[in-house]
Amino acid sequence: MSKSEVAYIRPKSIGVSVPRREDPALLTGRARYVADIALPGQLHAAILRSPIGHGKVTRIDVTAARALAGVELVWTGQDTAGRCPGVASSLELPGFVATVQPLLAHDEICFIGEAIAVVVAESRAIAEDALELIEVDYEELPVVADADTAIAGQVLANTRVPANMVYRCDRVTDDVAPAFAAAAAVVGGRIEVGRVSASPIETRGIVARHEWTTGALTVWLATQMPSFCKTMMAIFLQFPEHLIEVITPQVGGSFGQKAHVHPEELLVCLLAIELGRPVAWIEDRQENLFRGTHAKHQINDLAIAVDGEGRFLAFRDRVITDGGAYNTLPWTHLIEGHAGMLVITDPYKVPAFAAESISVATNKCPIGSYRGVGFTSPALAREVLIDRAARAVGISPFEIRRRNVVRSEDFPYTSRAGLKISEGSFLATVDKLEAMVGYDAFRARQESARKRGRYLGLGVSIYTEVTGVSTRTLHYFDYAVTSHDTATVRVEPTGKVSVTTGIVSSGQGNLTTLAQIAADAFGVPVEDVTIHTGNTRHAVGFGTIGSRGAMIGAGTIGRAAEMVRAKMRAIAGRLLQAPADEIEFTDGMIHVRGDPGRAMPFAAVAGAAYFAEATHPENFDPAMEATAAFDPADIILANGGHVAIVEVDIETGMVRVEKVFAVEDCGRMINPMIVEGQIRGGVAQAIGLALLEELIYDENGQLVTATLQDYLLPTALDVPDIEIAHLQTPSALVPGGIKGMGESSMVSAPAAVAAAVNDALACLGVAIEHFPATPQRIFDAVSGAARQ
Amino acid sequence: MRRADKDGRLEVAATVNGSERRFGALPRTHLADALRNELQLYGVHIGCEHGICGACTILVDGLPVRSCLMLAVQADGKRIDTVEGMADGRTLSPLQDSFHRHHALQCGFCTAGVLATAVGLLRENPNPTRQEVREVLSGNICRCTGYETIVDAITDPAVLAAFAKGAGA
Repeated sequence: MSKSEVAYIRPKSIGVSVPRREDPALLTGRARYVADIALPGQLHAAILRSPIGHGKVTRIDVTAARALAGVELVWTGQDTAGRCPGVASSLELPGFVATVQPLLAHDEICFIGEAIAVVVAESRAIAEDALELIEVDYEELPVVADADTAIAGQVLANTRVPANMVYRCDRVTDDVAPAFAAAAAVVGGRIEVGRVSASPIETRGIVARHEWTTGALTVWLATQMPSFCKTMMAIFLQFPEHLIEVITPQVGGSFGQKAHVHPEELLVCLLAIELGRPVAWIEDRQENLFRGTHAKHQINDLAIAVDGEGRFLAFRDRVITDGGAYNTLPWTHLIEGHAGMLVITDPYKVPAFAAESISVATNKCPIGSYRGVGFTSPALAREVLIDRAARAVGISPFEIRRRNVVRSEDFPYTSRAGLKISEGSFLATVDKLEAMVGYDAFRARQESARKRGRYLGLGVSIYTEVTGVSTRTLHYFDYAVTSHDTATVRVEPTGKVSVTTGIVSSGQGNLTTLAQIAADAFGVPVEDVTIHTGNTRHAVGFGTIGSRGAMIGAGTIGRAAEMVRAKMRAIAGRLLQAPADEIEFTDGMIHVRGDPGRAMPFAAVAGAAYFAEATHPENFDPAMEATAAFDPADIILANGGHVAIVEVDIETGMVRVEKVFAVEDCGRMINPMIVEGQIRGGVAQAIGLALLEELIYDENGQLVTATLQDYLLPTALDVPDIEIAHLQTPSALVPGGIKGMGESSMVSAPAAVAAAVNDALACLGVAIEHFPATPQRIFDAVSGAARQ
Repeated sequence: MRRADKDGRLEVAATVNGSERRFGALPRTHLADALRNELQLYGVHIGCEHGICGACTILVDGLPVRSCLMLAVQADGKRIDTVEGMADGRTLSPLQDSFHRHHALQCGFCTAGVLATAVGLLRENPNPTRQEVREVLSGNICRCTGYETIVDAITDPAVLAAFAKGAGA
């Protein structure tokens, strides 16, 4: 049967805000995160990181560090180079330049924070003491501190990347010149979204143990991609994969940052193998800001041509990704601007589109994935410019979107970049948001506030979210790889259900939502289902990334459950004297369709399968468990929109977000409480990205925002209450009609906030195009406009 | 008052979650590390070690304190309360239960610190406004929830009633 087969699930528990079964352990301090793993004989690693942005190590002396009491091992790049060349990240694409990031730099240092040496000691404190004793001489090289310098190609950020050009692509090449020539209005800008960090409150971390007597390598890893990490460990460390077990303990937030194979993860495995004792490395916050992967940094040079009614005629985009010194594994630089370019026109009808993506190496931390990766920055650029177009033709921001969104009569609509949109509620989203906001009343309030010297702004953003990253998705974005996940479903002799999945959780509540799915697959109470996860021994999968946990979980569990259900139907059909295909599962009972009286308990049929051979059909295989894979047949798009209302203080440049409205259509919701939690959390991150958070490098490649006093995460005073409404357009390609949704607020809400700031300042002739819209940027823009 | 052992560790005596505990700590060791490594109180989470994120917040003599900014030796003679001591046996406290009902946690990493901050607030002001809660909560960074449901949970009538009776967490 096809891996994309959609199993039937009758929603009952699905759709209910079932309280999370994860909570009691988390609320009482009984949950165990990777930093809480304490094994007998465990040692602790600390890493020396480069204080310069680009250069070479000319001398390194670790003698004193090795001599310190309590130190077990000190390695430099010379020691790791022979054991593992590093994290190689490549794609089979013409012109793509692969990179290899060494576990410890031994030749060229390409960004501040790059690892140079590692100490393993009895305690983290002793290991850090030893780092202080390492003497290093550096030869500094010229630094590529920004994308323009990188594109100029005169100075190299990484001598292995010719002209700093990692990848350049113009996949969409319509002739847009006639449309721009004929346009009633053209709006355009060079819209930059700065570097941010996903900043999970739990930093990265790993504990590895190698047992030489069995050969087993056991790894406790805070990751979203345990199976992928296991396979990469096998390949990069040349270690037998069947002897590797990756355990994912409780994970304290991830948001994409833990969806990579990081160099430190391979390094700590090597250390554990070398020492024969468990080794822990728990990243500190400064390391996390230096090296935990950065995100979002795109410059979109975008122009939109509209006719006199505000209908889009054409888009032209040139997107630059300031991608840092290396490609991450597996995403590479392509995950930002290249992926973004391929969705920038969605969810609108754009008849002509030309785009080019350029990804360049700079002397910065590699760019990686963070919630909404690739899509946040283009959505922000697009929505800010759409509002500008609306002003240019004199219509409201809702009206211009109403005139341009893909409508149901257009399905299937294929974008010029090639993305097929077959379902969704784009028009309904616009209407719903407008009604929630009370648009006319807002404009009146804005007008009267202005008379009192107060500047309110309203920004709208409409989105599609590519959810449930799958083979089709990966291919669309030019990753020539295949992915699938598995789940194993077992019905126990007493009728309880055990599910093993490769989907892990870093706060999403998958233990609860996947139990809801499995419960409905068998028509049993959700309490009768257990979800086992967090161990690569039992299931495989691509990872809990890209808003895929619920969808892929539903697909795999649905298919595996159907295999077991078929066996139960066969037994029940014999016992109830009905054809097997007329047997149904409802409320803990198995009954004949249309005849609820002819029924027996679910548990009785399970027991019969295990213990009563006389009930078995001929040639019956009594294994009451099944493993199935799932990979959806096509790209699944969720959709929705956001409106933000802000007030800008033009004296101080401070922005206060007064209110955010969200409309979400993720198909049928499994657990509305959890869906709304994802929306609220994403909106908070969106406010951070649009207004507060920025990783700033100076001209020497020095990161000047290396503490949380400088890198500003949103607090309870920065994030308002959020009003949420739901639309539900079920997916035809996932059991239960489910779609993913975990990233939507970070795809779209930053755009709404950015557009709102621009709306507030439009009356002053001020446009903000560089984000975050910090007080300084706003103050400079407002005072610059006043001078003119 | 405290003896140093041969490694220079000082003995600290404190009332931790209601029990008299003694443990050794180097003078430079911060309290969060000591609680975790010496007393295995892994519910104390370390998020930034520079006093910004608030994940390591505990109660010291009843007041919220960032345990990464306090030396372990300063805990000598103090009453220390961590999240491990908050539930009543196997029953969640009213505040913990409210967090559960309101979905006021996702990954759970910041939660212990948020709970400690909330207890400190509610003991001082058992009927705070949402804005007052937000102001006090602004010292705890949560990257998952967007804070609204945390405010909901702290201002839940059952929680306020429990604290008004002095029977809060």
